[in-house]
Amino acid sequence: MTNVQQHPASFRDPAGFVFEYGGTFYRQVNQVYAQHYELLNTSGLYDALVKEKKLLPHTELDKNITGAPQWYKTLLPEQLPFISQPWEWCFGQWKDAALLTLGLVRQSMAKGMILKDATPFNIQFTGSRPVFIDSLSFEAYDATQPWIAYRQFTECFLAPLLLARYRSQELTGLFQLYPEGIPLALVAKLLPFKSRFNLNVFLHIHLPARMAAKQHSDAANAKKTAFTQQKLASIIDSLESLVRSLQLPASATTWNNYYEETVLSKTYVEEKMAVVSAWLHQYPAQRVLDIGTNTGLFAEAAAATGAFTIAVDADADCINRLYNTCRQKKIKHLLPLRIDITNPSPATGWNNAERSAFLQRASADITLALALVHHLAIGRNIGFGQLANVFHAISPYLIIEFVPKTDPKVALLLQNRKDIFDHYNEAAFVQAFSEKYNVLERTALPDSGRVLFLMNRKT
Amino acid sequence: MLHTFLYIDPGSGSYLIQVIIAAILGVGVYFRTIRARIKAFFGGRKKMPDPDNPENHD
Repeated sequence: MTNVQQHPASFRDPAGFVFEYGGTFYRQVNQVYAQHYELLNTSGLYDALVKEKKLLPHTELDKNITGAPQWYKTLLPEQLPFISQPWEWCFGQWKDAALLTLGLVRQSMAKGMILKDATPFNIQFTGSRPVFIDSLSFEAYDATQPWIAYRQFTECFLAPLLLARYRSQELTGLFQLYPEGIPLALVAKLLPFKSRFNLNVFLHIHLPARMAAKQHSDAANAKKTAFTQQKLASIIDSLESLVRSLQLPASATTWNNYYEETVLSKTYVEEKMAVVSAWLHQYPAQRVLDIGTNTGLFAEAAAATGAFTIAVDADADCINRLYNTCRQKKIKHLLPLRIDITNPSPATGWNNAERSAFLQRASADITLALALVHHLAIGRNIGFGQLANVFHAISPYLIIEFVPKTDPKVALLLQNRKDIFDHYNEAAFVQAFSEKYNVLERTALPDSGRVLFLMNRKT
Repeated sequence: MLHTFLYIDPGSGSYLIQVIIAAILGVGVYFRTIRARIKAFFGGRKKMPDPDNPENHD
């Protein structure tokens, strides 16, 4: 059929593929996977996982939409509001994704199945909950075999988590360079010496890295030794206790205390919240993008209106904190992601099409750009016109805050550099944005000299 | 037996490493079991948190 678009990242697994048809995503199950697919249903594994919200639910269709001869079933999965890439996740999201994967292995084994792959691309976040999306990842379990995806798990989950734990949270971004898994030899080299004294880190990272370097010739002989379910269970337990034990060292970042700082008065924050909330209610949105979300105060307000809210910030610690807050408060519809809007995730993978760029995915109904303009215009030398162009492509409505040069935060940005920003003023800001937007509302905020604007894009 | 998919490369030596790790962990489990039995003999057992309960994930 001509209108069927196979997803550009769904071509590796012969069991089936994802395709788009009439604006909806479907998954085709191929005949070669039929027995495993039926086992997923008859074993009760599918029902159990869907009930616990660990697996994305789907409806089975007996219609061959693609017309392919290898067709067995068509699945209509619950549609996801947004696809995030693992390099956009914070530490907490990586950790939960890893624990979900291990939990699925354990539950599958109990029902006579196992995961045949272990990649973060099989996981998405619906708000603050990870959910496994690849219903074709399960296969019949042969208890005499070890886990086929063991190495993939260590390279794709353990490696980024350990680099974050022992070195820096930013290093999870290394996964973007190695989307098939970060080589363990490289991970072993990057981890500090003390990591060898953790038994589980030694067993799952340093030992395999060293063995691979030595190219063991007796690898073939090992196949004669039978593996058991109990042995695999002990490996899964060991991986799980390692992941569960990982904690980031406590740190306070530049922006973590932004709203608590004395420079921004309580009246200012309250008034800003009142105005933004009123506008969010006046223009009900299905999807909101909050750029430079910081503590996520306004993203939470947006999510509270029922809008699916994507909250992005360049600061990984901010996003990690917001994610943990969302988990604790059980906030739905709010997805925190680590994205630097001045350098958003690019399109990567085969044909530059497997993983799409952030701005391609970032469409919304309302964009929030609060206390952001000065960082971009002065901190990064990005002109007002450039900002208007990029925001214009994201959403029809824009709530944006102008921060004047007299503001202490702007003074902080300028303290060590020459002020080359003669045209940084409200009039120039409004003029530049008026090229792309109609200004609907303007409200000056008390105690700050800052101004909030509600704008509607010109088409 | 069902046809299994080897569409990902399990990695050279990945089989052997799992055999070795399972053996090392087995030794640990052996000693822990003995320790647990001794502990159980001298006093009550601590209740273990349910690892599958998402509330226990921090």
